[in-house]
Amino acid sequence: MADIDIPPSRKAASPFSSNTPLLAWSRRLLKSMLPPLVAVLVALFAGAVLLAVTGFNPLDIFTVMVSGVFQNVRSIAEMLLKATPLILIGVGLCVSFRCSIWNIGAEGQFYAGACAATFCGVNFAGLPPALHICLVLVAGTAAGALWAAIAGVLKVAFNASEIVTTIMLNYIAIFMTSYLVTGPLMEQGAAYPQSAKFAHAIWLPRIIPSTRLHIGILIAVALAVVAYVFLFRSSAGYAVRIVGINSHAARYAGISVSRSIVLAIAISGALAGLAGAVQIEGVTYRLYQDISPGYGFEAIAVALLANNNPIGAILSGILFATLDSGSELMQINAQVPQVLVFVIQGMVILSVVGFAALKFQSARPSE
Amino acid sequence: MEHILTLGFLATTIGATWRLATPIIFASIGEVVSERAGVLNIGLEGIMLIGAFVGFWTMYETGHLPLAFLAAVLSGVAAGLVFALFAITIKANQIIVGAAINLLGLGLTSFLFRTYLVHTGQGVRIAPAIDIPLLSGIPYFGAPLFKQNLLVYSTLLLPPIVGFLLYRTSFGLTLRAVGEHPKAVDVAGRSVALYRYGAVLIGSGLAGLGGGYLTLAHANQFVEGMTSGRGFIALAVVVFARWSPAGSFFVSLLFGMFYALQLQLQAEPSIHIPYQALQAMPYLATIVALLLVRNRMDAPATLGVPYRKA
Amino acid sequence: MNIERRQCLVAMGALAAMGVLGPARAAGEFKMGLLVAGSVAEEGWNRIAYEALKRVEKELGAKISYVELQQNPASFEKAFRDYASQGYQVILGHGFEFQDSAETVAEDYPDTVFLISSSNIHQGKVIGLNTDSSQPFYLMGAIAAKMGKSAGLIGGMEIPPIKEALEGFTNGAKDASPDFKISQVYLGNFSDATAAKEAAVNMIHSGADFIVPDADAAGLGAIQAVREAGPQISTFGIFSDQTEIAPKNILGTYIADYGQGIVRIVKGVQAGTVPTSNVDFGLKDADVMKFFYNDKAAKPVPDDVRKYVEEVKAKIIAGEIKTRYRK
Repeated sequence: MADIDIPPSRKAASPFSSNTPLLAWSRRLLKSMLPPLVAVLVALFAGAVLLAVTGFNPLDIFTVMVSGVFQNVRSIAEMLLKATPLILIGVGLCVSFRCSIWNIGAEGQFYAGACAATFCGVNFAGLPPALHICLVLVAGTAAGALWAAIAGVLKVAFNASEIVTTIMLNYIAIFMTSYLVTGPLMEQGAAYPQSAKFAHAIWLPRIIPSTRLHIGILIAVALAVVAYVFLFRSSAGYAVRIVGINSHAARYAGISVSRSIVLAIAISGALAGLAGAVQIEGVTYRLYQDISPGYGFEAIAVALLANNNPIGAILSGILFATLDSGSELMQINAQVPQVLVFVIQGMVILSVVGFAALKFQSARPSE
Repeated sequence: MEHILTLGFLATTIGATWRLATPIIFASIGEVVSERAGVLNIGLEGIMLIGAFVGFWTMYETGHLPLAFLAAVLSGVAAGLVFALFAITIKANQIIVGAAINLLGLGLTSFLFRTYLVHTGQGVRIAPAIDIPLLSGIPYFGAPLFKQNLLVYSTLLLPPIVGFLLYRTSFGLTLRAVGEHPKAVDVAGRSVALYRYGAVLIGSGLAGLGGGYLTLAHANQFVEGMTSGRGFIALAVVVFARWSPAGSFFVSLLFGMFYALQLQLQAEPSIHIPYQALQAMPYLATIVALLLVRNRMDAPATLGVPYRKA
Repeated sequence: MNIERRQCLVAMGALAAMGVLGPARAAGEFKMGLLVAGSVAEEGWNRIAYEALKRVEKELGAKISYVELQQNPASFEKAFRDYASQGYQVILGHGFEFQDSAETVAEDYPDTVFLISSSNIHQGKVIGLNTDSSQPFYLMGAIAAKMGKSAGLIGGMEIPPIKEALEGFTNGAKDASPDFKISQVYLGNFSDATAAKEAAVNMIHSGADFIVPDADAAGLGAIQAVREAGPQISTFGIFSDQTEIAPKNILGTYIADYGQGIVRIVKGVQAGTVPTSNVDFGLKDADVMKFFYNDKAAKPVPDDVRKYVEEVKAKIIAGEIKTRYRK
């Protein structure tokens, strides 16, 4: 990762520090949030230019987007519903990216999690609902972790590039899902390529009346905090970060590089798999062939925008969900092709890495 | 079942293999050049889509095939320029920039297709198959080997040309040195960035051509997302082929064969394998291949690492 | 299309300024919304729904709107709710995958009519509309079996409308000639025109003289392979008139004039009559399901085959021939 988190000691020594810890903290927060904000503005501007060039009025369209997403409790709840898988996966990717393990396979890990969750959800009907819900979530998490661990083990044992293996595992997971919903997991007596519907008792509880928002968002936020503590307050997390910064140095320091790599990628896979399970138990209630519209890829941008900070991933997940929700409204109300959102996402990533790299260069002139 | 053991079946496989491998050959050999200089461009998928779309659009508007191919290559180069700007000049993480290029490629081509083209009727005229006299008349193997279009044939020239460029010219020598020991090149007074730019632009131009092949020399329509993962396959090919142009050619053919066999075996009523398993074959094969080339440290030493002057 | 979009945009810009996102302002206005998973730009499935929507606008004077969603079941419910809360009286979800979310939203909006394409659901005002493609495909299968010796079928994804169509073709062919050979390939997507073309080339090499794609935009690759193979290979136009793409090879075209069927139903809704069961369009609905021949093809369908087709068509309409679900 080009943008390595500057250790707290260095930050404290920066001219921005102050004597009051709270003030210093809020300044640091502001300072760390400024580049992503500017990056998002640059990306939106690029989107606006594209809209203007193709004959749309960007201002009207952005107004429709923002006013629609934040119109009422329900629309905000819908946006948070979209943010849930993005935050979960994004938080996981923060851990993997901090270790400089380029897990491009969160999409496949999401599918693996969704498949395992569905298998447990449509079977074991005799279990008490609370236990059954937990079983489904655990199954999804474990499947995602295992799917990702394949790439991790291949990396440490065979020196196989995780970039290539995770991409390949994406395809394999998606074909596997297609096979399962047209074969073994297909709903009995129905003609559609989908699994049976989960019993109402094991749906994730909803947290705001008359909206679809379920406890998944709370799980996501809680796990973001856990991931933050893991990365920045635990020795295993410290090892993961050191391996990410310099694996040779880590090895000399007595850190098990292999262990850290497999751990980091398995954690990111676990969260992606959990996201798959949460999506089924909380939103769709059954498995489809196209259960993810690309959450695993979008979450890469979520993690990046957050500078691989799990707490930041909450905010960037919400931002991307706002863009997603807004792009649907923009399509409904102004007939702007919804695919524009991909362009904006791509631009967000480019401007984030652009700013981060520039900042990095000015912060560390030599290497 | 006995049908698949016939010469006819084999001939069909060969023809389809070569045609399906062609876009991957272009993209992967281009990526070899790029990675040899130390730049990992995972944006191939997006760049190929851009090439496919721009090539198609140009052909649709002008009806001029060479111009359309040129447009496909140039659009690839343009996308590569954006990549290089971020990955080389700004020194951002190459994987992330590549991921962004993929998103931009999919988003821009789909957005523009929906906004400007939509109904393209008959599609465009594509590069015609060239019949090599006499040879194309050979029973069974004449047609698949000697009745293809110019782009398919040109894949035969690409490995020697790129091989010569990389191993026999001073440009190639320096380019590879940039991937292994950028500091040495820098000390010798040559610009690491310039060579990397050159490598990325060659690579992305070839990826654009590979995309253009899809709409200008194979199917004759643009379909959103039509690259269907070929750019990612090309990345895998490069690793499997251990960064060799000739190797990439043969490994691409292997992948082309998987594609071809997948479609052929599905069509055999006597074979009862879930088609998803057949479709997953090339991807599984890639993983297996990575295990086979284990511990071979042929990767350029600074692959993926931005160069910073001391 | 583009111009329409811009005009729409000008109007929408003004509406956005007035707060179009609020509840319906003019109670008398009749509005219909459409949800598609994918793009209406692509040839085939989604385009059919888009054209139907335009017909409703033109013929019934309704205000229309559509949304192209990602193939994402999680986003469907919200889109239904968006339309329902804005006072749209009819919402068409174009595909069976919209069933669950329509049912859920219908609980909160009992006055809204939800039409679901390619579905046989009937739950209050959630009404499935199925175009039984197995019937016209049965006719195509019959033609192929009477005229040729082997056919290759290329499906996009293994989903009910496609599976049923291919099953119909197979039944039609086997009923006409039990020895007729059929091979079948699924692409696993609707975008890989390259793979569709190679699949068709392979089938032609293996002796197929009929190639029938049912894969939306990707299917164009297969038609192109047929065209390149020459006039002795035949195919059919599916869902829209593709005769210009391969004028020598397309023997006939099956058009599902879904717009006609939708207009018929929406007209009823406008007048206050909601269908009391799910709707299954078939050959009996001559205004919806059309099959016509291409007399300029290199090998036009001979008269005796046309006569046979008329006979089986009559039997299908009378319910004497089962075109699908034979297992």
